[in-house]
Amino acid sequence: MNIRRFFSSAITITEMEARKIRHDSTELWTRIIQPALWLLIFGETFNTIRAIPSGNFSYLQFLTPGILAQSVLFISIFYGITVVWERDVGIITRLLSTPSPRYSIVLGKSIAAGLRGVLQAIMIFLLALILGVKVRFDPFDITGVFLVVILFAMCFSCLSMLLASYMKTRDRMMGIGQALTMPLFFASNAIYPISIMPSWLQYVSIVNPLTYAVDAIRSLLVEGNYANLPIDILVLAISTVIFQVLASRTIKKLLE
Amino acid sequence: MDVFRPRESAKTALNNKAIEAENLAKIYRGNIKAVDGITFSIDQGEIFGLLGPNGAGKTTTIKMIMTLTTKTSGSLHVFGLDVSKYSEQVRKMIGYIPQSISVDADLTAYENLLIFSKLSYVEKKERDSRIHKALEYMGLSARKDEIVKRYSGGMMRRLEIAQALVNHPKLLLLDEPSIGLDPSSKKQVWDSIRQLNQEFGTTILITTHDMNEADELCDRIAIMSEGKIAVMGTPAELKREVGGDIITVEMSDSYHIPSFPKVIGKIIRNDDLEIEILTEDGEQAIPLIADFFRGHGISVESISINKANLDDVFMKYAKRRLTDEMFKSVRKTRRDFARHSR
Repeated sequence: MNIRRFFSSAITITEMEARKIRHDSTELWTRIIQPALWLLIFGETFNTIRAIPSGNFSYLQFLTPGILAQSVLFISIFYGITVVWERDVGIITRLLSTPSPRYSIVLGKSIAAGLRGVLQAIMIFLLALILGVKVRFDPFDITGVFLVVILFAMCFSCLSMLLASYMKTRDRMMGIGQALTMPLFFASNAIYPISIMPSWLQYVSIVNPLTYAVDAIRSLLVEGNYANLPIDILVLAISTVIFQVLASRTIKKLLE
Repeated sequence: MDVFRPRESAKTALNNKAIEAENLAKIYRGNIKAVDGITFSIDQGEIFGLLGPNGAGKTTTIKMIMTLTTKTSGSLHVFGLDVSKYSEQVRKMIGYIPQSISVDADLTAYENLLIFSKLSYVEKKERDSRIHKALEYMGLSARKDEIVKRYSGGMMRRLEIAQALVNHPKLLLLDEPSIGLDPSSKKQVWDSIRQLNQEFGTTILITTHDMNEADELCDRIAIMSEGKIAVMGTPAELKREVGGDIITVEMSDSYHIPSFPKVIGKIIRNDDLEIEILTEDGEQAIPLIADFFRGHGISVESISINKANLDDVFMKYAKRRLTDEMFKSVRKTRRDFARHSR
């Protein structure tokens, strides 16, 4: 397999997505509503009553990385629906009938989810600016957040494509997406610290990749303490590779 | 204009068949034999048709050639390459137009071709000229920057053919290319298929359940039924096998017909005023028949021709009518269920 061709195929798949977003960006704007409500209503309320311990930072500061990760999770966990839809309209058949290797197509799709994640992150940065949430707008940290978001979106979009290979319909993917997002979200440090969880839930949160994504984004965006960053990124990278390989092997099942 | 002429590569010598399948089978879970041990080969430069009702195994055969699904047993070679070993090389030589529209409706026509040619590794310096030539060839240049969503069905089909052309395929697979098109778009698609074959020598494999389409386009046809090839040959050969054309002669009065020359045909029915003659080639027989009757002083009211068609051939080999077949087939429905529940 030719490495240069492999990556050029993956980038082309991402380019395809970018061109679609350029033609119609409605989705980007509608996707800002939910995180805005979380920050404005949930965030502001708990910020005022101080019910959740958030260390040296305000609750809004604590919450912003969690909500960023949550909205990227939504984008990527439902990415399989897009792929099922593309199967229904023949695009997957088209892609798989090119000489490009399957791994490169799945990789390209997951980077495309990463691209959507980055655009979402930019929206949430803007939201944080408007709400006056103090986050570290340092070029290094922002770049770091983007990279973590891309990795995280790749991880869960591959999981979603893996599930889509077996589920095969949009309805089932909708169901499984709904069933997964809330447990993942609540069993993570997105809206409260792990330390206040019941101990059984703490164990669950340790195997939840969302925890590591939130931790990485929070340390870059709020805390400026990078001690946990290597382990966070390692866990995310390993899960991404596993899901990537599995999804690439199963994607052809979608056509059967 | 040799822009679409496929390049010869060392691996695919001229003497190779475009497609060679031997005892090829695809068995889905539950022992459903979608393709049940078929053997056929297609010469380079040929237009070959797989004709049969839905569920006969045509699309599965195409998908195996396109490496979109793996065979269960048998062997399958494309230009001498084993498809299970060289799937990426095989895909590089084939242009594929699937049954359902597969262009991306959220992109422009130009973008569709751009993405596809990148994924097919068309060299960067050739890319733009190939895209523009393909668009021009299919008559889409004027609207190349329009989002495909706004195209008509016929235009989408043409875009699809344009897309299959940018990688200069040596072999073009078309799965039901004219399904759902109005007569004029259908004709346009047929014309471009023929043109590609004649001008550039592209080998073409087409599946259809439309007898006219098969008759019109194909050099050779294989009739598939329940996963097997029932019969194979040129349309003329196949039609000859079911007996040929029937000429009906209506006479103004009741006459006694003396001996009828065998070279013209055979009388198969003789009412007092109407005679049916079975001939090999109806158009050639009509003047001979007219001369014969005139020579015997028999005055003729009318002569009509009933040409043998591929439906008769299908009837003979599959013991069913192709037209009925499209609507009712328990087996087909069962296969569909099996396919969709996986």
